[in-house]
Amino acid sequence: MEYHAPVEAHSGVVREETIGNGGKALKIGGENILPFHFFDEGSNPNPPKFALEILDMEPVGWPEHLLEPFKDVVSNPVKWANKCEGFGADAVFLRLVSTDPAVNDSPADQAAALAKTVAESIGVPLIVYGSGDDKKDAEVLPRVAQLCSGMNLLIGPVVKENYEVVGRAILEHGHRASALTPLDINLLKELNVKLGHFFPAERIVIDPESAALGYGMEYSFSLMERVKQLGVIVKDNMTQMPIIADLGAECWKTGQAMQDREQGLLWEGITALSLLMAGANILVLRHPETLKLIKEIMEVQ
Amino acid sequence: MIIIGENIHVIAKTVSTAIADRDARVIQDLARAQTEAGADYIDLNVGPMRKNAEETMQWLVSTVQDATELPLSLDTMNPIAMEAGLKVCRARPLLNSASGKTDSKEQMLPLAKKYNCDVVISVMTDKGMPPDVELKVDSIMDTVAYANELGIPNEDIWVDPIILPVSTAGEGQGFAKVSLEFISILEDLLPGVKSTVGLSNLSNGVPDELRPILSRTYLVMLERNKLYSAIADPLDREFMRLVRGEIPQVTELIHKAMDGESIDLPSLSKEEADYVKTAQVIMGQTLYSDAWLES
Repeated sequence: MEYHAPVEAHSGVVREETIGNGGKALKIGGENILPFHFFDEGSNPNPPKFALEILDMEPVGWPEHLLEPFKDVVSNPVKWANKCEGFGADAVFLRLVSTDPAVNDSPADQAAALAKTVAESIGVPLIVYGSGDDKKDAEVLPRVAQLCSGMNLLIGPVVKENYEVVGRAILEHGHRASALTPLDINLLKELNVKLGHFFPAERIVIDPESAALGYGMEYSFSLMERVKQLGVIVKDNMTQMPIIADLGAECWKTGQAMQDREQGLLWEGITALSLLMAGANILVLRHPETLKLIKEIMEVQ
Repeated sequence: MIIIGENIHVIAKTVSTAIADRDARVIQDLARAQTEAGADYIDLNVGPMRKNAEETMQWLVSTVQDATELPLSLDTMNPIAMEAGLKVCRARPLLNSASGKTDSKEQMLPLAKKYNCDVVISVMTDKGMPPDVELKVDSIMDTVAYANELGIPNEDIWVDPIILPVSTAGEGQGFAKVSLEFISILEDLLPGVKSTVGLSNLSNGVPDELRPILSRTYLVMLERNKLYSAIADPLDREFMRLVRGEIPQVTELIHKAMDGESIDLPSLSKEEADYVKTAQVIMGQTLYSDAWLES
């Protein structure tokens, strides 16, 4: 008997979103198939994209082998961002760590001004994340939104504790929100519903939290998988957003990555590959070698 | 539908304090309020009872019996306290509960026979909670057969499928459906047995103000599948109206949602739409979140 591979067709579509304007516009999402299910009916018009991460201050505690590709530019975020672009990043991810009250508590105005300068100095779109301190982010992120008005940045993390103030500023100034919840499908949906009361779902990106290999990655994997299944198969309107996997920072915190260059690249690379398979639409990496490796693998398929 | 009033429960601070202080008034007020609200049984949930178990249980039973004629459901895992309570019950009580665990089979089930009372038997086993319909069936068939051998007839057995929280990430909604299905096939499996559920466990972990609608909706769904009784809050007036079939349009909408019929939400009142959304969440038609009524 002849074998016929089963072909599935789903009617749910992940929202296609654009980050950045004009020549910098970058599209993510838009798929109506599960990740890498190219044998099914449907397509993914926008293959996954990759951002490289920079900080708004000189990194503290980064191992030499992570610092090495950027060591001439880490004191200057604009040059650092340009270098990322040179390495082939589809976007630059700026993390405003210095604003954290536990780091430098640097003022919102200063952080926002830097975000604007970086955004204007690169030819790819910018993603801006606050320090993760929800109270400080509620000051910093609205200021970033305001100063960069109209640039259509992706701004986050928008969390349960600050979504109203941060969300409204992002919306008012024409950006997109990256909504972060701590590794839980029900909480993820709840935040999207609550944000959705005033914020268009078409401008939300899901950050489900990306744990590193060996540090809970399988939770992130199952969660992303579930988000895609619900969006594409079940057509749950509140999970049909593209996913951002902010994984580089998590990977380079691990003892294994700190210890040794090769091990670090593999740690970040394997985490990235796994989360790609789970359905991440844009991945945030730290090391340009990982970027190169993953891009090569993606070209093979 | 038989309603077993759940409000005398040691988890409530007022109740545990009243029991410790032997404050009859607090306990009797709760018993009277539930009786007036239309409960059929009064549940006395005293927990594991480590100290003065016998004396405490007997005090509680007598105190409640002085305030109401209703039969009691004695809810403790401690067999000594259970027996002490059974001894002083006037109306035929409900032993709540036994299970397929070895301890329970050896210590609780013989008490049901000895005192000729009704008994709740849950699907729990030594291995824990059977997660799907098939395993729940296996467990309950075994335990009921064991009870029958002791001389307890099916008619005295109230089977409890064990309700779990619907909000548990990912799996809760699946469990809610499993219990619905289990209840629907019970009559064919074990002719003559009755059934009961601890209804409020469905909404454990859900914000307080959202808990009642989950209980109300799930009860209507379980009732449709021939549930016999529920341990629940009779002081929730809307719940009791639904139990008595006094809001037929809501009951009908919940049934439609159970059947997966498409329902035009904008044409409904907010209250009706909330019931439909709740039924859809319980059926797993939409993913649960604490904001399920808001979308």
